[in-house]
Order: sequence, then structure tokens, then C-alpha cells
Amino acid sequence: MIELIDLSKNYGDTHAVRKLNLRVAAGEIYGFIGPNGAGKTTTIRMMGGIIEPTSGRILIGGSDMHADPVSAKKIIGFVPDRPFLYEKLTGMEFLKFISDIYQVQSSLFPSKAKKLLEQFGLWSWRNEIIAAYSHGMKQRLIIAAALLHDPKVLVIDEPMVGLDPSAVRLVKDILRDLARQDVAIFVSTHTLSIAEDLCHRIGVISKGDLLAQGTLAELNSAARTGDADLEEVFLTLVREA
Amino acid sequence: MKALAWIQLLRPRRHALKAALTRGAAKVRVSRLFLFGFVGGAFWLGAFALFFRVLTYFQSVEEFGDILALKLLSMIMITFFTLLIFSSIINSLSHLYLSRDLPLLHSLPIASGQIFYARFAGSCIDSSWMVVIFSLPVFLSFGLIYQAGTGFYLTALTAIILLCLIAQALSSIAVVLGAVLLPAGKIRSLFVILGVMLAIALIVALRLIRPEQLVNPEGFASAVIYLNSLQTLDAPWLPATWITDSLRYALTRSWGQVFFSLSLSLSFFSLLMFINDSLARAFYFKGFSRAQTTPGRLFAPLRFRGKGWETGLFFLSRPARALAAKEIRAFFRDSTQWPQLFLIGALIIIYLYNFSVLPLGSAPVRTVYLQNVFSFLNVGLAAFVLSAIAARFVFPAVSMEGEAFWILKAAPVSMRSFLWMKFFLYYLPLLLLTEALIIISNTLLDVTPFMMALSVITIFFLVPAIVALAVGLGAMYPDFTSENPAMSATSFGGLLFMLVCFALIALVIILQAGPVYRIFMADVHGLRLSFRLLIVSAVSFAAAVLLCLFAVFFPMRLAERKLNKG
Repeated sequence: MIELIDLSKNYGDTHAVRKLNLRVAAGEIYGFIGPNGAGKTTTIRMMGGIIEPTSGRILIGGSDMHADPVSAKKIIGFVPDRPFLYEKLTGMEFLKFISDIYQVQSSLFPSKAKKLLEQFGLWSWRNEIIAAYSHGMKQRLIIAAALLHDPKVLVIDEPMVGLDPSAVRLVKDILRDLARQDVAIFVSTHTLSIAEDLCHRIGVISKGDLLAQGTLAELNSAARTGDADLEEVFLTLVREA
Repeated sequence: MKALAWIQLLRPRRHALKAALTRGAAKVRVSRLFLFGFVGGAFWLGAFALFFRVLTYFQSVEEFGDILALKLLSMIMITFFTLLIFSSIINSLSHLYLSRDLPLLHSLPIASGQIFYARFAGSCIDSSWMVVIFSLPVFLSFGLIYQAGTGFYLTALTAIILLCLIAQALSSIAVVLGAVLLPAGKIRSLFVILGVMLAIALIVALRLIRPEQLVNPEGFASAVIYLNSLQTLDAPWLPATWITDSLRYALTRSWGQVFFSLSLSLSFFSLLMFINDSLARAFYFKGFSRAQTTPGRLFAPLRFRGKGWETGLFFLSRPARALAAKEIRAFFRDSTQWPQLFLIGALIIIYLYNFSVLPLGSAPVRTVYLQNVFSFLNVGLAAFVLSAIAARFVFPAVSMEGEAFWILKAAPVSMRSFLWMKFFLYYLPLLLLTEALIIISNTLLDVTPFMMALSVITIFFLVPAIVALAVGLGAMYPDFTSENPAMSATSFGGLLFMLVCFALIALVIILQAGPVYRIFMADVHGLRLSFRLLIVSAVSFAAAVLLCLFAVFFPMRLAERKLNKG
């Protein structure tokens, strides 16, 4: 469902991402971990069609992000690391905006919006302007908006930042549920316990290079760390990079 | 913390300025400096030439020359003072209560009084620097005409700085009190009040003074009334009057009077600072704290028979309708936009009023000729007004997406659709506005049907060109991280946009001027148009249309490429 082929991004002389190759199948949750400045957000922003790669290809559900970005973006639900939204709109107006942009069936919008807003605890805030929302509420609204059009691919950068424990549990449950419905999920995170708990496979990136990827057992094998936990594997891989 | 900690708090501004001047590619820095220098220098020299010429003319008017010059000086000072007051109020509101870095500052171990003084100083610099720079050509022309010495220039510098400080001190008192009196979360509503006040003050100040009468003594019933109108003293309690007095006495080297006027201004400023200090201690942090509460909506949503206004956009595709509705909502809910809207309303009223009071009847040239010359010039003038409006509202349109621009980048909407939606959203109202301006002003001028048709058609082609240039250059030089994207109008891209617009308008006018003059004169003299004239006219008009079409599509294409690159 997601395929990155020789994906690279340079900022001047800096190689933010170098020859990245990976696949995420339908129904799979892929965790993307790495130290600060490793290239995680750059990769995610390229996958979301926000920045152009220097070279390489991104295929989303078979659509090439460069050749046919509109088709590729139609099936992605994108959640960035920082919840920047249209602060002057209300929560409901924002969801309506997203529903019109993604052309969600009009008759379904009210019930879908209500369900998502209730699920994320925002229903009573639906008519308040977003500027009045807390950081966590904005993050919840963005995730709700990303799910509004029933995406086949979910790309999430740091999904749990700013969320309270109950919202973290809610998001984890939702992601697992979506994976069971064959949605491909690509999650970048710093929280290793979440990656270990949630993801079927994990990729470790450092200084723009994908160091290793696979299940925890496969990562242990690559790092020669026996049956260590993800934190130990991660630190070993990054240290040796 | 030391008593002068507020000076330390200005350090980030200094570093930001230094970074802006030194970071980035040298080539880009040089071209930016060149452009800013060129535009600033041109305005500065233009202002100097204008004032020097006017003062030279006044000197040639026997007996009245000095009175006219002093009246002019007084009017300039009142204008500066008005500008400073409003600019300071808007800046104070932003610096004292709304800036993004304020929560960080208030979390530091610094007394809120020190923060108040730092923001007071920052606001004063931001609202005054341009007035100070552009007051210098005025003072220079007065100094040269009256052969003043160093004392005058030193007085002028001290006087203008005092004027800026007084305006800032008055404004911050108004803002601090406003922040306490307004309900929590409604502090941004101050912008609405300001907008209305600004519009009304501008209309009243500019039109009730009727400066055109100063050079039209025949308009007065007698020379005594004329002299009285000139010698009418400005309000003696107005700080602008004390500043004017210090300047006029410096021109005549009456240093005792200069000292008195400057001391009066300084003591008034000291009094205002005492009030500011007391208010800041009592209310500043309280007001800031209230401003941090949930921002509320000023007006309830507009609905008709249960349906929102956006149903009126039914003719657009769903994504386009969503973008348009979002844009309109965001624009009208951003109260920082409102003073500008009121200001534009006031300027348009003044613009049309000026046409209604043009003394065409007393002109020595044939009226029909003059009316139509004015009409032709009016096309250029209206296009310049449009460019200024586009610089303020359309150029920042892409930047207004701010850091939420990722939403559109990640959405299944092409950048081409996004840019054209922005274009049409501004094109239609601006076309209506500019055509209305042209038709009403031409009706006031009572021009010939040919000139009316020419003006309407020229504007019809110039409006999309100017709007596309604004959208296109705004997208090529965006600032998605600015606290106030509207300020991008004064950025490198904004200045470039104004220069390109001026060049476009000048080229269109030049292409039309020759044929229009010949056609008009043939019509006045009842002559038939020659075949050659018809061909030349057709080629000129076609070239003007092609130029406008090029200005529509080329910048939009470049902008699309730029946004796609990310």
C-alpha cells in the first residue's frame, strides 16, 4: 500500500534522507523511529506530498505521489507532528472543510463528524473557534479530520504528543482497529514503548539512512542484541551507525 | 533583576534584525538591500522635491508666503501625530498583549513593569521609524528654504522624537485601559473600535481641513476671512501644536520659545510616563492575563432560514467552495483586518469626494478637454489605488494560510486550483470596486462616452493582471511563519509586486495615451479617423490587452511551480 523507492531528500549539502526503500502492506502498522534530526519528519512530509523529494519515488496505493499527487493524497490521512490548524474556524467548520476537500459524501458528513467528535471528546467544543482549543484538543481534532474520509493509508508523525493518557489509549485502539480494517499505517515516534506495543514492523533511521527494519526479533538479529527490548536495540543501532 | 532589565529584553529584537541583515545568500541580501534602498530613496527624494517645490512656490506669494508655509508645517505635524497615534495603538496592542513570545517573557523572573517598558519601547520604534525617516525631507526643505542653521535641525530631530514618544505614551494608556475595561477574550475587539475611529478621523481630518482652499484665495469672501482661516491657531493643548511651535521658532532663531515648547512637550511626556507607570503596575499583568483567556467570536454566525451564507457559493465545485468559505471566514474573523477595511472605505470616500470638488469650472483650459484628461489619468490613479489594496490584502493571501498550509499541501487539491481559487476570490470584489470607482468618478467628471468606455475596458483588463501578480508574487515570496502575514506587503516580495504593478500600469497607459489623444482630438474637432490612426490604435490597444493577459498567466504559472516544489 505504501512503497518508498530510493527516496532521497537533500537540503543544500545536507542529506536529510538517503536512498530510503521500504514497503508497508495493507493492515500493517509500521513504526519509524530515530534520533532527533534523523530524517523522520522529512520522510513523512514527502509521503504526505508536502515537500518534493530530491530523487526517488513514493507510491501510495499504486499512485505515484509525483506523477499523480491528487489521486495519492485522496487515500491518505495525514497527521503532522505539530497541530497547526485554521485557528479562525470552529472545530465543526474545519471538519466540514476537510469533508468538502476530500469530497466525503455530503449525506454521511453529519453522522461521521458527530461520531468522530464524540469519540475524541470534542463534541461540546464543536462550535468554538480552534484558537480556543488546547494543544491536545487540536491534536485530537487533526486525527479526527484525518479519519473523516476513511483513508486507506494513515501517515502519522508523533501521534501521541500533547495527548492525555486516555486519548493515548483511544488513539492506540483506533490505530489497531484501522489496521484490522486493512488500513496501512505509518507512524513516526520517539516513544519507543508505543512503537514496541503498537507496530508490526519497525524501521530505524539515523542521519538519513535506514539502519534496519523488521519485527523486534529481526531488529535484535540485525543489532546482535539477543532478545533485548526496543530501547536497547535502538541505542545499539544508532551508536554503531 | 536590575531596574533597567527592559533594555535587556530588547536584545532579541537586535539579534533578529542582525540575522535578517546578515543571513542568507549574499546575492539575495544585496538585491533586497538594493530594492529597499531604491524604493525608500525614491520616496524620500520625491517627498523632498515635492516639499521643496511647494515651499519655493509659497515664498513667491507676497505677504502670505510665510503664513502658508507655517500652516503647511502645522498640517504636516497634525497628520504625523494622527498617524503616530493610530500606528502606536495598533502596535501597542500587539506588543503588549498579543505577541506570541509574551507567555515566555511573563514566565521569566522579570517584573511585569519591565516587560511593559520593553514592549513600550519596541512598539514606539515600530510605529515611529518610518515617520521619523520621512519627516526628514520635510525638515530639510524647510531648513534650506529658510536658510536655517544646525540649531533648527537639532530642534527638528528632538521635536519629532518627542512627538513619537508622546504618541506612544498616549496610545499605551488607551490600550492598557481598554484591556482592563473590555471583557476577557474580547481584547481583539479593540481593533474594530480602532478601525471605525481611524476611518472617521481620517475623513474628518482630511476633508474638513480642505487644504485645496489654501491655494485658492478667490474661494473666500474676503482677504480678511482668508487670512483668518490661515492664521487660525491649532488647538493650544495639542502636542502637535507645541512641536510645530518649536520648529517655527527654530526657523526664526527664537531659542527661548524653542526651549519653552520643547520643555512643554518633554514635561507632558514625563507626565504621561508617570501615568503609564502607575497604570502598568496596577493593570498591565491583569490585562495580559485576561487576554490569555479563550478568544471568543465577536458575532454570531450569519444564517438565513437555517442555512449559512456559504450556500450562496453553490455555483462552485465542492473543494473550491470549501476553500472560498474557509478564506472568507478566516478573513472576517481576523479582527486585525478590520481597521484596514475601514481605512480603505474612508480612502475611497475621500477619493470620490476629491473628484466632486475639482475646480474644473474655474480652470483656464477648456473644460471638456480637462475633464477627459482627468478621466484618462483617473484610470492610472484607480489602478494605483487597486495595487495598494492588492498589496495589503491579496499579496499576503497565500501567506495567510500560515503554518496550516500543510493541510492544503497534503489535501487532494492541486496547487493550480488553490491559486486560481485565491485569484477569483479577490478578483471579483476588486473588479466591482475598481469599476465602481471609475464609473462614479467619471460620472462626477461628466466625461465623453468614449472615455467612459475606454476607462471601463482598461480597468477590466488591468484588475485581473494586478490581482494575478499579487497572488503569484505572494506565493513566490510567502511567509508562512509570520505572526502578522499582512505585514508581508512591506517585504521584498511586496515591494517587488508594487514595482511590477507600477511598471505594468505605466506601460498600459503609455500604450494607450497616443491613440487616445488623437482619437479624442479628432472627436473634439469633428474630424474623421484616418485608416493609419485606426491601425495604430488597434495595435496599441491589442498590445495593452496582451500585456495584461501575460501578467495574469505568467506569475500564476511561476507561483504554481514554486508551491509544488515545497
